Order: sequence, then C-alpha cells, then structure tokens
Amino acid sequence: RRPHSASLANKVFIQRDYSEGTVCKFQTKFPSELDSRIEKTLFEDTVKTLNNYYAEAEKIGGHSYLEGCLACITAYLIFLCMETRYEKVLKKISRYIQEQNEKIYAPRGLLITDPIERGMRVIEISIYEDRGSSGSSSGSSTTSSSGR
Amino acid sequence: MPSSSAERVRAGAYLPVSVAAGLLAGSSTLFFAFTCPWLAEHVSLAFPPCVAVTFLFVMANFTMATFMDAGVLPRANEDEDKDDDFRAPLYKNVEVRGIQVRMKWCASCHFYRPPRCSHCSVCDHCVEDFDHHCPWVNNCIGRRNYRFFFLFLLTLTVHMVAVFSGGLLYVLEHLEDLWALRAAVTLAVMSVTGLFFIPVVGLACFHLVLVARGRTTNEQVTGKFQGGVNPFTRGCCSNVEFVLCSPITPRYTGKPGKRPPVRVQPPFQKPESLKRSPGKVGDNGIQNKSPPSKQQSPRVLSVPEFKRPSTPPPLPPKPDPVLLKSHLAALEESLLHSQSVGPPGQNLSKMGQILESPSRVHYQVPREQMRKRENIHFPMTCRFQDQSSESSLDQIDKQTPISVHSLLQSSTLPLNSLTLNSRSLSLKHAHRRGDRAHVLGQRPEPLASRPSQSILSGRSGSLSYDSLLSPAELAQRGAYPLSYRAPFLPMDMGGRGPVDPQRPAPRTCSPVFMAASRRSPQHREASPVHYDNLPKGLMGSIQELEEREKQQQQHQQLLLQPQLRPQMPTQDPLGVYDTPGRRSLPHESSSRGPTPPAYGSREFLMSSAAYGYSSRTQPACSSTSSLSRAPRTSTSPLGSNVALQGRSLSPSIYRSLERQAQRSPSTLPGPLPTSSYTTHKALAFSTTSEQQDSDPKYPVNES
Repeated sequence: RRPHSASLANKVFIQRDYSEGTVCKFQTKFPSELDSRIEKTLFEDTVKTLNNYYAEAEKIGGHSYLEGCLACITAYLIFLCMETRYEKVLKKISRYIQEQNEKIYAPRGLLITDPIERGMRVIEISIYEDRGSSGSSSGSSTTSSSGR
Repeated sequence: MPSSSAERVRAGAYLPVSVAAGLLAGSSTLFFAFTCPWLAEHVSLAFPPCVAVTFLFVMANFTMATFMDAGVLPRANEDEDKDDDFRAPLYKNVEVRGIQVRMKWCASCHFYRPPRCSHCSVCDHCVEDFDHHCPWVNNCIGRRNYRFFFLFLLTLTVHMVAVFSGGLLYVLEHLEDLWALRAAVTLAVMSVTGLFFIPVVGLACFHLVLVARGRTTNEQVTGKFQGGVNPFTRGCCSNVEFVLCSPITPRYTGKPGKRPPVRVQPPFQKPESLKRSPGKVGDNGIQNKSPPSKQQSPRVLSVPEFKRPSTPPPLPPKPDPVLLKSHLAALEESLLHSQSVGPPGQNLSKMGQILESPSRVHYQVPREQMRKRENIHFPMTCRFQDQSSESSLDQIDKQTPISVHSLLQSSTLPLNSLTLNSRSLSLKHAHRRGDRAHVLGQRPEPLASRPSQSILSGRSGSLSYDSLLSPAELAQRGAYPLSYRAPFLPMDMGGRGPVDPQRPAPRTCSPVFMAASRRSPQHREASPVHYDNLPKGLMGSIQELEEREKQQQQHQQLLLQPQLRPQMPTQDPLGVYDTPGRRSLPHESSSRGPTPPAYGSREFLMSSAAYGYSSRTQPACSSTSSLSRAPRTSTSPLGSNVALQGRSLSPSIYRSLERQAQRSPSTLPGPLPTSSYTTHKALAFSTTSEQQDSDPKYPVNES
C-alpha cells in the first residue's frame, strides 16, 4: 500500500529539429512545462545524447557500406539473419531511455517514451502529478501494474 | 454493393503487380529454358550465368520493393493532438538548412507531416520521404525501400538488355526457321522485352536524374523546388551515396515495447532551482505568486488597478493547464463583473471575449491596427493545452493582471509543445465569443489583443509585440523576463535589448492590454503586434482607431515594417511553427490597413491555388509510367520557396479553396489585398456566431 499515487497530468512533445535536413534530431529547447519538474541541464543532456545516438545510427560510413554490400551480395537474405546497424543502435537507445527513466525521470514524476513508438517524430514526455491519495487504485501510477 | 466494389478495387490493385511479376518471371524463365542452352553453346558459357545473376538481383530487388515497408509513419495518438483536426492550421513552416519548408497537417494521421513526407491515399498512411506509389509493385516507395526500387529499375534495364541481345543473337542465327519452337519463344520473349524496354529505361533514367539531384518523384512532379533551392540535396555524389549506402531505417509500425515498465511513484523530486525559491512554486503555483496587493482587487483588469504601481509579482515558472483555465475563468468573471462599471468594464468584457479564445491562434495583426496601445487591459493568456475556458472561467477567482502575466509568462512554452496547441482557436470558444459580441458592442473603444504572442513569435519576423502599456502600467508589471521574449520576438526585440519596465516605449510581448483609452495617444507606440483572433467588431474598432492614429503619429511602424516580412530563417532556429490557425475565412471585406501579403493566408492560398491549378496540372492519377500518384498525396503544388508565410487555413477551408480552384482556376483572383489578411485572423471568431459582430458596434472612442 503506498501513501501516494501518481496520475498522468500532461504530456510534452519534443519535436524534431529539421534544421539539418531529414536526419533524426530532436530539439533541445527546454519546454516550460518541465521547468518545475526537472533541471534544464538534465533534460538537455538526455536529448543531446539521444541525438548523438541517432546520428551514430544514421552515419554513412564504413559500416553502412559494408552492410549494403553484404545485403546486395546475398540478395538481401542477410536481413533474415542479422539485424542492421540501425536496429542495434535503437536497442542501445531503448536501454538508455529505460535507464534515464529509472534514474532521473521517474523520480521526478516524468516518463520518456521512446521516439520509435511515435514514428521518430516526437519525444513524448509524460508528466505525472502526485495525487496524494492513499490507496486509490484508479489513476494511479503509470505503467507498472504492481499492486498497491 | 460497396463491399464488392471495394473488393474489386482491392483485387484490382493486385493486377499490375501480378502482371509485372508474371511477365518478369515468365519471360526470364522462357529465356533460360529455350534460348540459353544455345547461347551457352555458341556464344559464351558464362553468358547464361551472368544473366541468371542479373535476374536474381532483379527478383530480389523487386521482392524488397514490393514487400518492404516504405517508412510508414504510424498515426499519432490522440493525446499528441488534443485539438480537433479542423482547428489546426494547415501548414507549419520549418527551416531546413536555411530554407523554409512547409509541413502540412495530415488530417488522417493527425500530425504535421515531416519534410518530404507525404500521405499515400492508396495505402492511406503517411510515408517518410515519400517518392510515389508504384502499382507495379503495389507498394509505396519511400525512404526505406527507395534503393530497392531504384536498383530494381537498374537491374531490370540490364536484364532486359541482356535478354534482348541474347534473343537477338539466337534469332539472327536461326532466321531460316523462325517458326521453330525455340525461335518462336525467343521471338516472343524479345517482343515482350522490346515492348517494355522504352518505359523501363525511361523510368530508370528519370530516377537516375532524381537520385543525382536528391529529389523524390513527388517533389519533382509537383515542382516543389522549381526555381528554388532543394534543401535536401547533399551534392550529386553524396546523394547517390545516401540512396545506396545509407543505413536502412527501422520500421516504425508494429514495434512492440518489450522493456519492463518503469514505475513512477511520488513523492517526486523537484529541481534545485525550485527548492531554492519555494515562493515561486506552489501546487497552484500561479495563484501563490500574485502579490497580496493584487489580490485585493476583484477586478483584474480594471484600469484603475493598473494605475497603482506596485512591485511586480514574481511570475510563475510553470504553466499549469488547469490553472490557466481557472485563470481564464477568473478573469472572465471579473470582466463580467466590471461590465456594469462602465466603459472599463466593457473593455474588460471584451477582454473576456478575447480570453475565451484560447490563444492558440498566432495570427498576425496588421501593425497598423496594433499600434496603439489600446485602451484596454487584456490579460491574454496563451492556451497551452486544449482547455475549455468556459469551465475555467467559472472557477477563477480574482486574478490580478500580474497573475495573468504569469500565465503569459508561461506562454514561453516551447514551441514544440505549443505548436500543437497554438494551431487555431478553439471551436469551443467560438460560440462564447458570439455571445459576448453584443456585450462588447457597446464598447466604444477599440481593443487590441495579443492572445497568442508566444505562438505568434514562432512566426519569425512577422510578430512584433508592442507593449500596449502605459509607462505606469509597465512599471507595475515589472520586468518581464526577456528569456521568454526572445524566442517570440526575433525581429522585434532585436534592437531593443532588455526590457525596461519603465520604458515608455514598451516592446514587451506582454499579453496584457492596457486600457489605453485613458492614455494620451502618444503612449501608444507603433505597434507591430499582429493579432488575428479578435472578433471582427473588435478589429473593426481597432482599425478605426488605427486610422485615426495614423494621422497623428509618425510612422514608427515603418521602422517595424521589416519585421513583418516573410519570416527570416534566422528567426526560427528551432523550426518554430507558424501559421495561426485559420478555421474559416471571415468574409468581412478588406477594411484593414495594408498588411504584408505574406501573411494573408487566404490570399496565399488563393494565389497558390491559382498557381497550382492554372499553371500546373494536378498530379496525375495515373500515367503510362509506373508512377501512380494518389490524389492529394502531395501537398500544395507550390514549392517551399513560395509562400514561406504559409498561413494556414483550416483544412476544410483549404479543401474548399482547392475545389473552387479546380473548378474555375481562371476565376481565382490574384493575391488578394493584403489588408484582408487580418480578417482571417479573426478566424478564431469566424464562426457564425461571431459574425454577428459588426463594426458599427465599436465606434472608436477618442477619449
């Protein structure tokens, strides 16, 4: 039984930064809804790290050449066996977001949704409010389904 | 029966791909069976294996092009877009490498299409880097599978050349007996190959050029970059490299989240800055911040209140949507109470009307109209969320203007979150505006409002807010943090530096509108503020006052004129989204002062429609080539280099314009007078109820 429960109050959407084209990059502008919830530097660090991950995933270089050649040579059968570089980086991103959520955002009543679930268009940050209710099961905290 | 016709349509979609696959596989098989043995014998042993390898690549690329997800963007969740679709502005401008690109609102998918994204009506989804919908593979060609389609075309060309030449060699050696089985089959294969050779080679060359130029078929056919610069090109070699060697992006659809959920459990940590200054934050933060002196007056916006200078209250850091609603409610209530007071009250009731229109509109008011610091204090609140002001207004209790300022302070919400909200005025509030229209009718003074300054600021260059405050009022308002001004007044504030509250020439984007009627005209600065969401009556009265002031004042606004120009890319570093929501076009005639043509959404769309439909054919629904352009998968034919101001209309309006344009493109007027642009900004009020307002209700009061 927990004395407090959290309920979803609001969602902030961090939009894409298209200033460099269609590469995946998110705006680092600090939304004012988060002003009272998290330090600006933490937020910016998270977004910048994500941007770096995506830049690494989309980098055209030796790795992508190799992948392309292999795919071509094997008539794309290689895709059945191996995961692409992008998918590898996406897994890293997913782990990173999970870790950030656990360590930084959830303690502040926030949750970051992986952009891949939104088609890489937005980073969705859910803002939770402390309802302060005891033992209420409705509208209580988020994704966890553990009992209260 | 609809179901059978739908089924026929669906079945019909498989016909071209079946034909293509059948011809490809069948012809090649016949070639290998009937011609290759002779070729292996008499030409080269290596010839058939090479052709076989080529055929293998053709089939592999064909399969990938057919079955690979093109980069389908999943539809947005409901909570990502809280507004109703028809209230959303149709376009948002984004700067890509210094060039303004327009993002169109996708009514089906509920988001603004990223650059180069388009909606395929055949498949009914948005595709990233949409190229075209190819019926021969029965699939959209987009970011993920364009290289396979391109390679399919190239390898098919090579394969066809090989098959044709092999068959030709055979036939030339067997001229004497062309009716033999092998020769006949070879001839048939050759004829099929020859028949499709020209279209395939033509298409392959076309895509070679596209790849070299870094364009998609969509962009090429709609002429987006005609006469303009393509912001997406990286140079010929880099473009080819990007197409062929870039990493394959992942599928966006159908990705289940397998991570363990993260528990969010109060109590929540607070940021250090808040811990240090507890006064700023409260659960109902905004209310706590109001200074006690302000809370004494029940009438938030009465003019006498502002005459009392006092220490400016600290502004709340966080905009709480519930709070905003409550503030709106309180403000409105106070406005209503003050109605009986007289002109000030009437002013306030007007403000209430303004309040109700959630300032998701970012319209640009012609400067002439906004120049004066009008007579009224308006607590302008920017609605950051989709809020119902009706309920909130009922809850609010005696909020001071400062608290309203605080609300406006929170209007510094990043545009990324505001964009969704700031799209247009809420329909919900339209009827209320209509209700109050008559109330405001008695008001003699014009009103000026800057409801969505923060949003307006997103439109770089077009928004400049003049403070409508008198010096005394400014003093009491205190210093508005520049931090939130900066993004919104890119051009306006450029030369001004920090705001000095005591400055008589305020340029703050204060959303509060002072009742300038009590002030002498000289307090009214040339106001570059632009507003779009005032009711027609208000705008009419403002216009009248405007005209009068023109005669009195110097043309300060000429100094501000540059700010109204088409958005500068530098003003929009983060790709702030512009375009006030335009629900409908008010049909008041152009009684406004001249406004820059760029901002006239209606003019723009009319002119663009004229361009689009008179100078360019609509995207062909079908063509002899393999390009199948679904209707309206592309956005306006105008390139991004046109109409950077893309003021939006509601999609319904835009569609009606399109239809109108389609029917009679020749009758489309040229770019409408820019003065009529401001009328569009009253789109927030442009519902039928609002149109009850009439100008005569707002005679200008020169007191």
